[in-house]
Amino acid sequence: MKVTFPHLGNAYIFIESLLQGFGHEPITPPQGTKRTLEWGSRHSPEETCLPFKTILGNMLEGVDLGANSVYMIGGWGPCRLGYYAEIQRIILQDLGKEIEFITLEVPQGNYHLAWQRLQKIVGSTEVKKLVQGCQLSWAKLKVLEDIEALALQVRPREKEAGSTSRCLQRQLQRLRQVDTIRSIQELKAQAEEELHDLVDTSSRTEVVRIGIVGEIYTVIEPFVNLQLEERLGYLGVEVVRTISLKHWIEEHIFKNALGLYSLRPLKRSASGYLRGFVGGHGLESVAHSVDLAQKDLAGIIHIFPLSCMPEIIAQGILPQVSEDKNIPILSLVVDEHAAETGFQTRLEAFVDLLQRRMRICP
Amino acid sequence: MVSPPTNKQILEWGLTTCVDGACLAIKSYVGHAQALVRQGTRLLFVPQIISVSKKEYTCPNFLGLPDLLKQYVPRSVELLSPTLDARKSKVALNCSYLGFGLQFASINTVRRAWKMAVEAQHAWEQSLHKHLPAEDLLQILVLGPRYLTDDPFLNGNLRGHLANLGAQVYSASQVPDDLSLELSKSMDKRLFWSGTRQSMGALEHFIHQLDGVINVAPFGCGAESLVGVLISRRAREHQIAMLDLTIDEHTSEVGMVTRLEAFCDLLERKKSG
Repeated sequence: MKVTFPHLGNAYIFIESLLQGFGHEPITPPQGTKRTLEWGSRHSPEETCLPFKTILGNMLEGVDLGANSVYMIGGWGPCRLGYYAEIQRIILQDLGKEIEFITLEVPQGNYHLAWQRLQKIVGSTEVKKLVQGCQLSWAKLKVLEDIEALALQVRPREKEAGSTSRCLQRQLQRLRQVDTIRSIQELKAQAEEELHDLVDTSSRTEVVRIGIVGEIYTVIEPFVNLQLEERLGYLGVEVVRTISLKHWIEEHIFKNALGLYSLRPLKRSASGYLRGFVGGHGLESVAHSVDLAQKDLAGIIHIFPLSCMPEIIAQGILPQVSEDKNIPILSLVVDEHAAETGFQTRLEAFVDLLQRRMRICP
Repeated sequence: MVSPPTNKQILEWGLTTCVDGACLAIKSYVGHAQALVRQGTRLLFVPQIISVSKKEYTCPNFLGLPDLLKQYVPRSVELLSPTLDARKSKVALNCSYLGFGLQFASINTVRRAWKMAVEAQHAWEQSLHKHLPAEDLLQILVLGPRYLTDDPFLNGNLRGHLANLGAQVYSASQVPDDLSLELSKSMDKRLFWSGTRQSMGALEHFIHQLDGVINVAPFGCGAESLVGVLISRRAREHQIAMLDLTIDEHTSEVGMVTRLEAFCDLLERKKSG
């Protein structure tokens, strides 16, 4: 089957490899552009959040490129992500797109449907091939996130502006092509070396470290957060991520399936502020902010899409965390009308404030 | 002590204190809490209602409500916030109520209070389930969160205006919950927010007698933004006219009346062929 799927940062490299392992032909939609958003917004209910619209845009572009099936994750609440897939399926169906829409979610009750979906995903691929495909794509995801994390450290310290992003893109495109675990490891070593070479070792300017918390899609997908990480890097900021896809899969899929997933560490961090799960990444936003405040960071940026219910709760609570832990927190809300210039001005002002703060009370 | 019905001052208090992205219902809730605090209340009952029905949630705002509200009341005010959770079963929900009661009184007192509460709730629900006599009026179903549909101040007296325009108004609360659960089973994917599931159930229940559906949604409500699609689709299948009313603190009553008049005119014309 020709399968298309929504983007989530550079995760397409991992997803492509996984789909190939399962014997499908991945149709990767183009990186988000104005067109993605236009197509997505035109057919979405007006008030859904930005992720819904861009994801639908990705799907439409993928179908336009010839995909005959769409994969999307589902869920069972309370965050509305759980119902995205169903509404998107209906929208695509009403648009007359003849595609197979497969929602990936833990079955609740309807095991027959789940079995049908599984059969379609796996097809007639041999078990050995499936295992190999999973191993390869998992290795890619690991390396992908390692290189990205390193790039975040290198970017504020680079000699030539823009060299880190170029190097990262080149290495990622290579990672997309390789097909053995050994070559992935070689690529990783080489990429790390190249990135290290970009660092300006003579510079004495102090780098500000900022942690990013918020809703997972807006944190990871550069198209909706207006390249937040890159922008901060160019302002001389080292970005510290608190959310990663690999970690999310490990926790919410593997551990959850085995019944090992526990909210206890998060609840412990957030205690006194938020007592438990509020859906989406609301609890994580509060818990990670508390953790980051103890980690010698200059500030925290909290980013989420307009009308994201769990993050609004977090936004209401974070000022208290900021006051108690003496750490500046900037909440950024994005929607399809977010303007780059206004965004940049706010980031610059925030970074200025942090730099001044570091000089006054180092 | 119970706060007075929502008024301009209460909403104003909510709007000026609550985080700006929250929906109108939450803002007005914060306003009500402020009203009580200003009257000298030192103990507020703000339950964390995770779920009221098996495998369903209320909404993320309810899950974080006590913690959010804590930010907006003085530290001297204590919040009583038991966690009420029926995701596993209704029995678990009842136990959490009883467990909460045991903190304050002996088992016998709690049991008596519980019995009275259940009876009162039951009687009230029964009074809603009564079916209205069928008259030759426009039959309109009003859906949406009850904090909006049942609060004349927040919804700009929607029901009153509809009645003036000669409409018979139905609501989701007229459909018993078990019936609504049964009716919503035909959906391809089960809804996991109780409020929206009740909306869909009510729509199914009344679908053959309706002329129009009005879906009232607070601006920025995640659940309503998606369920609107399902409601309008179902209404279209049965050729029922649908009006989407999104309400926030800037909604003007006059503008809404104009829309309601236009909607009712359209229904009248359609009905008379």
